[in-house]
Order: sequence, then C-alpha cells, then structure tokens
Amino acid sequence: MDFANLVDQLNAGTILPEGIVLTTLMVIVVGDLIVGRSASRWIPYTAIAGLLAAVVALYLQWNNPNPISFLGAFNSDDLSIVFRGIIALSTAVTILMSIRYIEQSGTALAEFIGIMLTATLGGMFLSGASELVTIFISLETLSISSYLMTGYTKRDPRSNEAALKYLLIGASSTGVFLYGVSLLYGLSGGETQLSAIASAIADANLSQSLGLVISLVFVIAGVAFKISAAPFHQWTPDVYEGSPTPVVAFLSVGSKAAGFALAIRLMNSAFPLLIDEWQFVFTALAVLSMVLGNVVALAQTSMKRMLAYSSIGQAGFVMIGLIAGTEAGYASMIFYLLVYLFMNLGAFTCLILFTLRTGTDQISEYSGLYQKDPLLTLCLSICLLSLGGIPPLAGFFGKIYLFWAGWQAGQYGLVLLGLVTTVVSIYYYIRVVRMMVVKEPQEMSDAVKNYPEVQWNLPGMRPLQVGLVLTLVATSLAGILSNPLFTLANSSIARTTTLQPIVISSHFSATVPAENSALQTQQ
Amino acid sequence: MNLAEGVQLVSFAILAVMMIGSALGVVLFSNIVYSAFLLAGVFVSISGIYLLLNADFVATAQILIYVGAVNVLILFAIMLVNKREDFKPLPNAWVRPTMTAIVSAGLFVLLSTMVLVTPWAYSTESVSSDTTIVLIGQHFFSDFLLPFELASVLLLMAMVGAIILARREFLPDQVITPDKQQQPVLTLPERPRELVGISSDKTSNLDDSRRSE
Repeated sequence: MDFANLVDQLNAGTILPEGIVLTTLMVIVVGDLIVGRSASRWIPYTAIAGLLAAVVALYLQWNNPNPISFLGAFNSDDLSIVFRGIIALSTAVTILMSIRYIEQSGTALAEFIGIMLTATLGGMFLSGASELVTIFISLETLSISSYLMTGYTKRDPRSNEAALKYLLIGASSTGVFLYGVSLLYGLSGGETQLSAIASAIADANLSQSLGLVISLVFVIAGVAFKISAAPFHQWTPDVYEGSPTPVVAFLSVGSKAAGFALAIRLMNSAFPLLIDEWQFVFTALAVLSMVLGNVVALAQTSMKRMLAYSSIGQAGFVMIGLIAGTEAGYASMIFYLLVYLFMNLGAFTCLILFTLRTGTDQISEYSGLYQKDPLLTLCLSICLLSLGGIPPLAGFFGKIYLFWAGWQAGQYGLVLLGLVTTVVSIYYYIRVVRMMVVKEPQEMSDAVKNYPEVQWNLPGMRPLQVGLVLTLVATSLAGILSNPLFTLANSSIARTTTLQPIVISSHFSATVPAENSALQTQQ
Repeated sequence: MNLAEGVQLVSFAILAVMMIGSALGVVLFSNIVYSAFLLAGVFVSISGIYLLLNADFVATAQILIYVGAVNVLILFAIMLVNKREDFKPLPNAWVRPTMTAIVSAGLFVLLSTMVLVTPWAYSTESVSSDTTIVLIGQHFFSDFLLPFELASVLLLMAMVGAIILARREFLPDQVITPDKQQQPVLTLPERPRELVGISSDKTSNLDDSRRSE
C-alpha cells in the first residue's frame, strides 16, 4: 500500500468540521499561553466562530456520495452530520452563556472553553464513529472532558462531590461498556467494524447465543449512562446540582445527543439480529425514565435538580422514536433533539442569569420575578412551556411527531404512558411559571425584592443576552416554522443507508413513507 | 499433550491462581497499602497471560504503564494522604458485603456459563511474535489512524485538566461588602441549600441519607 493510495483511501476530507474545531482548540490553548489572561476577551468569540464554521462545513458535506472514511473507522453519512451539527450548535450556545458565569466564579475561561471544545470534538467523532476502537476513544474524550468540567469550581464541595461521583460511576459504566464491546469483538472472530461484526456473527450462527445477549445488555448499560436513562440515572441529579450551570447545559444537550447518535448506530449496525431484544430493553428504559424522571421532578425545590429530572424524562420521550425503529421514528428523534437544544439551553440561560443576579436557584425564590425582570420571565416561561409541550411552541410539535411515530409503529402503551407523563411534566413546569407570573407584589421572595438593576453592559452580559434572545426566538418560532427542520430530519434519515435494512424488516415499512409525506404536507 | 502445551497449561494455572488470589486480596484487605501492592501482583499476572497469548508488546506495555506508572501513582497518593481515621462500626455491617458477594457470585456464574455455552469463532491464523510491533504500527497508521490521533487530543486535555485541578491558586483577599453579595472565588454562584437549616456544610440529600445510615 503506497502513500498516495493510502491518502486516497483515508478520505480524510470528511472530518473537516472536526478539523476546524480542533484548530480552534489549538488556537485557544496556544493563544492563551502566549497572550496571557487578557486573551479571555477574544477567546470565547473565536471558539463560537470556529464552531459555526464547523457547522457550515457540515452543511457543505450534506449528501456526501462517499461517506466512509479512515478505512471504515468513521462514517460521515447524513445521520452523523445532523448529530454533529446539534452537538456543535449546543456548544456554541453554551459558550455564550458560560462567559459571565465563569468570570464571576473566578476560574480561568480559556481552559474551560478548551475542555468544552474537546468534549465537543469527542461527541462529534462519537456521532460518526463506526468502528469499536474509534467509538471507545471518542466516548472517553467526551467523558473525561465532562468529568473535568464538572469539577471546575474546585473550592466548592458540591462541585467536588459532583466530579467524584461522575468520575466513579462513569468509569464503572465505561468498564461495563468495554466488556460488552470486547464480547462483540470475540463473537465476530476479531472484527472491529460495526457492519462487519453483524455479518460475521450472522455467518457464525451466533445470532441467538447467550454471549450476544450479554454483550447487548452491557453495551446498552454504557449507552444508557450517557443519555442518563433510568435506572442508570443516579448520577444525574447530584452532578447537575454540583456542576457549573453551563456544564449542566452541555451535559443535558450535547452529551445526550452524542449518546443517542451512538445508540442509533450501534443498535442498528451491530445488533440488527437482536432487534426484538434491544427494543424490549429500551422500552423498559423508556418506561422507567418517563415515569421516574417526571414524577420525581415534582418534588424538587431547586431549579437545577428539577431540570435534571426533567432531562431524564425527556430522554425517555426521545427513546420512543428509537424503539419505533422506523424512518419516522428516527426522524422524530432528530427533530425533537433539534428543538430540545433550543428550549433546554434557553431554560439554562435564564437559570444562569437569575443565579448570577440573585445567587440562588431555589424555585421558591422565583416568585414575583415578573415585576422586576419581564424579559427573563418571558424567556423562562416560553422555554419551560415548550419543554412541557404546550401547543404553539416548538416542544409541542416535537412531542407530537415522536408520539405519532411511536403510534404508527404500534407502540400504543408507550405512547399512552408518554402522554400521561407529559401531563405530569406540564404540572411542574407550570408551577415555576405560576410562581414567577401570578404572585402579588407582597408575596415577592427576598431574592426578587433585592433584585439588582438589570445591567447588560457588564463584561460577558451581552453574549448572555444574545443567547437568551436567540433561544427565545428559536423556541417560539421553530414550532410554527418547523418545515425546514422536518425536511432536514427526514432527509437525513432517508439518505442514511445503515438504517434502511431495519426499515424494510419492520412490519410497518409499507405504510410509513406514505404517511410520512402526508405529515409533511400537513405541515 | 506435548511438552510445550504442558508448560503452557502449568504456567497458565500458576498465573491464574496468582491473579485471582491477589485480586481477592485487593478487595478483602482492610489495609490499603497491602491492596495497592497486591494490585501490582494482579497487573504482573495479567501481563504473564498476555505473554502466553503471544502478545509480547502488550505485556511489556502492561508492566511499564500499570506497574511502573499507575500503581506507583496509587502508592504515592496513599502516602501523601496519610490520614488515619477510625471508623466506628456500623450496625448491620455484614449486609453490604453479603449482598455484594451474592451479586458478584451471580455475575460470575452468568458470565462463566456464557463463556462455556458460546461456540466462539477462533482465529485460525497464527501470529509469530517477532512481528507484533510491526503489525501494531501498521494498524496505527492505516485503519486505526483516527483513534490513534484522537487519543493525542484526549491525552492533551487530560493533562491540561490535571494541571487545572492540581494547580495552587493564589486567591486575592476578597473585600466582602455587606450590601453587595460577593461570590467566593472558585465556587458555584448558587448558595448551598442548607444555609438556614441545621449547621452543616453538607450539600445534598444524599449526604443526609448517608449520615443517617
């Protein structure tokens, strides 16, 4: 194999977006080293520019005729492009909200953004990885950066506790995942590429062996930890409560999206023989997540903990699309994650703004906020109502698409449970909105009574304002003007070849494309 | 069975007994220094098994990295912490070890059944041990190029993160004015929850439940 031939085969152009992120990361790390602390003025904007450039590069690669690169280690199909875009965008919005937060906590901004970009890089590679070693290394890149960010405010015992818990539970779940993956390697007789594994296992007649089932269970345990699905969610509330809030925002959107991308690719490429089994396991996870996440969220008094449980519940909703296993199911997952990106990050931006001004995140302290800060109240209300799924907002359309896809695939019980838990979730979202809006002036909490003058000209406040308005606009308009997002989600699934065999083998393949287009025309 | 196979079998048995024995010691000894030294025993026996599998490079790397670096680091950590604390015995202390033993035994039975039941697809090609490094190098620069390069990013960021966590911060003296709430440096801006409750620096419900256990 000579060099020119090798370069040809590597097809390295497909990782151009990751290359841009990596270059930005290097510019930030080296620039901070050379310029010193004054570099924190331009570093966040460089990072955002790099991430947006990566999104543009992803857009240019849309519908790439030759997506396989690095001799099968990386698959840059449209499915991975959408997920990589979601992760890069979520990091860009997260950086907008983190500038002021990090400066106020007295920690170094450049390193924080560097670690966050590394996590983004890991998540982006994870979305496209189609080979076991690449999957593992990118998963570790994402995880280790997340552990570091969790413990970033290192003089706070809550942050230390969160980092230690996340590290220990994360390390053990990685170990379990690795065991499952090594069983796959063994069963397939030494293959590491996902497509080769499936065919090798089918050839060796091992499709119903105990080893494959155990490997499936172990792999799902590792994936479920990343998407914090119950019963692998125990770390979530404590880690969310003790981490810096921008990190929580990233964990709940970017890291989760990477987990779902991994779940779709791994389940469809490596375990097509066990489709009933993995759908059953994910059904159990979805039921537990929806019930537990939404019910326990009712009892929370801290906003961050409430959003932690709400994110567990939301992961349960998204899993309905995965269990449906149809084209519409996967497309609805992508659509919901796109919408969830804006509404959840909007909610976290509001949370950060309130915390920075009052120094608390107790739900009771929000009472009467309407009198002092109408913009914050409006944005938080819109985002929470959208998370709950109130009609004209984006979250409603996301949920209805998910439930519709689940219903088409025959998951009636799951969809009904989803509807019931949605009603439960609306209760706790509305409780916060009611607290902010309805209270009389004399019922105002102490934090709101001492609410400081709204100053947008402090350093780092402008980007926060930009992020606030951006997520507000996206959350309110993405529902009504959702057609481009629908088209994006549907066409990315339709063009992804790895998902096609599953669609053919499922019972509803004939009806789905027709009704799929019917829904599009209705929109 | 010829002589080579016999030697292999005997050395495998010795290594396996050594590994399981020292792994049990790691878990069961209450003195953490013994556990750390026995962990080195586990690593050495694993590298012996790698040798039996013709993976000489991995065996060397195992000794150099795990015994030479990781285990020494663990010992340093133990020496630096150097804190004696006598824990008062908990009521029903036998419950947790018993539960753990039952779960572990169940897992062991399940996994060993799996190993015995599954008809494994054995690789038939024999690898001569002289070329393992060459083979690894070829893989690193062809089909495992992407993970190999990504690992460098991972290591860079792990190093940066370790420096951030271990670095001594020079904290400026904060002037806390009574009218304006100032957030202490390197902490979360949210106030801890039990600020008005029982005097305690603990933060989450889990701590409370842990204390009451």
